[in-house]
Amino acid sequence: MALDRLFNVARKEFSDHITSRRFIIILGLFLVISAIGMHSGIENYNTMLESYSLQLQHMQDLEGPYAGWMPEKPSIMLVFSSMMSYMTMLGGILAIAIGFDLVSKEKETRSLKSLLSHPVYRDEIINGKALGGVGALGFAMALALAIALAMLLLFSIVPTLDEFAAVLVFGAVSLGFLLAYFAIALMMSTVAKESGNALIYTLVIFFAVSSLLPMFGAMAANAFAGDPPEPPQMPRMPQEIVRTASSGGYSTTSVSQSVVYGGNEDPEWKAYEEEMKTYIEKRRLISDISSLLSPQSNYQTIAIAVTQPQIFSMMQSPYDTAPEEKPGLAGALGKVWMNIAALIVFPSAFFAATYVKFMRMDIR
Amino acid sequence: MIRTENLTKVYNGKAAVDGLDLEVGEGEIFGFLGPNGAGKSTTILMLTGMIEPTGGRCFVDGIEVANDPLSVKKIIGYLPEDVGFYGNMTGEQNLDYFARFYGMDAKARKERIAELLELVHLDGVAQKAGEYSRGMKQRLGLAQALINDPKVLFLDEPTANLDPEGVREYRELVEHLAGEGKTVFVSSHILSEVRVVCRTVGLLAKGKLAAQGTLEEVARALAPADGDAVRIVVETREHLPAIEDPAVIDIERNGNRAVVRAKADIRDRLSAALFEQGLHVREMRLEEPEIEDVFMAAYRR
Repeated sequence: MALDRLFNVARKEFSDHITSRRFIIILGLFLVISAIGMHSGIENYNTMLESYSLQLQHMQDLEGPYAGWMPEKPSIMLVFSSMMSYMTMLGGILAIAIGFDLVSKEKETRSLKSLLSHPVYRDEIINGKALGGVGALGFAMALALAIALAMLLLFSIVPTLDEFAAVLVFGAVSLGFLLAYFAIALMMSTVAKESGNALIYTLVIFFAVSSLLPMFGAMAANAFAGDPPEPPQMPRMPQEIVRTASSGGYSTTSVSQSVVYGGNEDPEWKAYEEEMKTYIEKRRLISDISSLLSPQSNYQTIAIAVTQPQIFSMMQSPYDTAPEEKPGLAGALGKVWMNIAALIVFPSAFFAATYVKFMRMDIR
Repeated sequence: MIRTENLTKVYNGKAAVDGLDLEVGEGEIFGFLGPNGAGKSTTILMLTGMIEPTGGRCFVDGIEVANDPLSVKKIIGYLPEDVGFYGNMTGEQNLDYFARFYGMDAKARKERIAELLELVHLDGVAQKAGEYSRGMKQRLGLAQALINDPKVLFLDEPTANLDPEGVREYRELVEHLAGEGKTVFVSSHILSEVRVVCRTVGLLAKGKLAAQGTLEEVARALAPADGDAVRIVVETREHLPAIEDPAVIDIERNGNRAVVRAKADIRDRLSAALFEQGLHVREMRLEEPEIEDVFMAAYRR
């Protein structure tokens, strides 16, 4: 494979994408909606910041179970978490829009035959197409992040170095998510003879992995985990231990119930808690395995870990006490390594299948 | 310049090209004839390195195509049947994209593209290739096939979408290219087109080469077997008398005209005998089957 030929294909594909009406319209829509979302996110952030300042003032007067609790300063990543929801829908559509007819259109217009008659290998063509698509999606992502950062600066919000790193990671993860759907679209474009069919096949897979798969995962989790354990009869009112944590724009309060009997916890309740914990972990395991096949679920899991590590940490361990210290970016990413791996493996598998199919494609 | 050895391509258990042995010399304009589905396009796809043969080998300028398709593609030009382009790009942009694969620098590309667009009368056309008529696409297809100044040119049904003026220009172009020493391989099912431009032909039927040579040689080879008999058409001014010659098999008479079927060409003896009888011979010729009829019969076989 020669790089000059590969880049010739990639350059043409990239240029085709960023000048196509379809790409410009969807990207424009995505950017406008993201900007609106960012704006409301920034307003939320500013409100949270004011609330944080007020909480700091009130903390000194607080007594009881809340004594000693320090509110956490909201992170600007809150602003980016609003982008996540738009990314999963409009971003996915953008990725599908640029990939679904990449090969099928060439078959329909017979330009593939003309192209293949010149000195270029098939792998250079398909890799160039993939590279051009990745470049276009990277361009879209970079543009979205640049606008987001510009808006932050416009509102006099300057991210710290850690926050900036988190923004870059968020961008990379979002690009990984877009690549997953781009890879599906490219694969379907290679398999189908017509672009219309390629689009239909891609949308079917899109909805299957984004909606059906998590739903089946939940159903499977219910089926395999069985019924939840029954709580024992309560001899007396349990004592509530309230743990509160805030991160970004969200405050999460976890309430765990403990029954104290004669100075010790009720052994029946303790056993129930243990059973419940095992039950929830079993359910989560089954649900997590099916979610690994869904780029949407993986993306959301990673994005929450990056943008709201505190919330993510509490979601992961509802039975544990809230962590005293805010988990770092590396720590958050470490907890979602399987989702990161899945987000890499998913498009890679589709790219590999596309490659094999394209190399063996009949071009009569 | 072009050679195939037992070239075979099988699709779904059926041989599209079946043990093809073909040879085309340098500078020839070779017509590759055959009905639709005979395997002409499949043969060209193998010769241009776009598909791999199931069996056998093919060579272009001594290079085995399957072993080194890229080297072959560098020295050939190919105009596919129903050629297609990128509809969002102009003719010039399409040609520039293809020219980049040959490592031509910007100046060389610009000059070559301008030259070719002028050659196919598409210079100054600003519209996108998606808005081209079929004839314009065909002409742009010729330009893209010539972008690398190829040694060998493969043309698959080149006149399919051309108007009469376009066909005339295409013929002149092929003659001009052959004059430059290029080998031109024209695939077509239209005999009348091939006989105008091609010096040698090969007839493909059901994936096999039925005959190869000049048109006359091929027509003779394909003519229906009639033993060694020849048919002589005779017409005299006067009523034709009885013809007595040991070589005569039979005679079909029609007044002063007859078709004599003989074991050999006896025109010299026949004309002498008629002259001796004081007859005026208006016509005497060997009747050969029409090439079109021979090819049609071969197509149907």
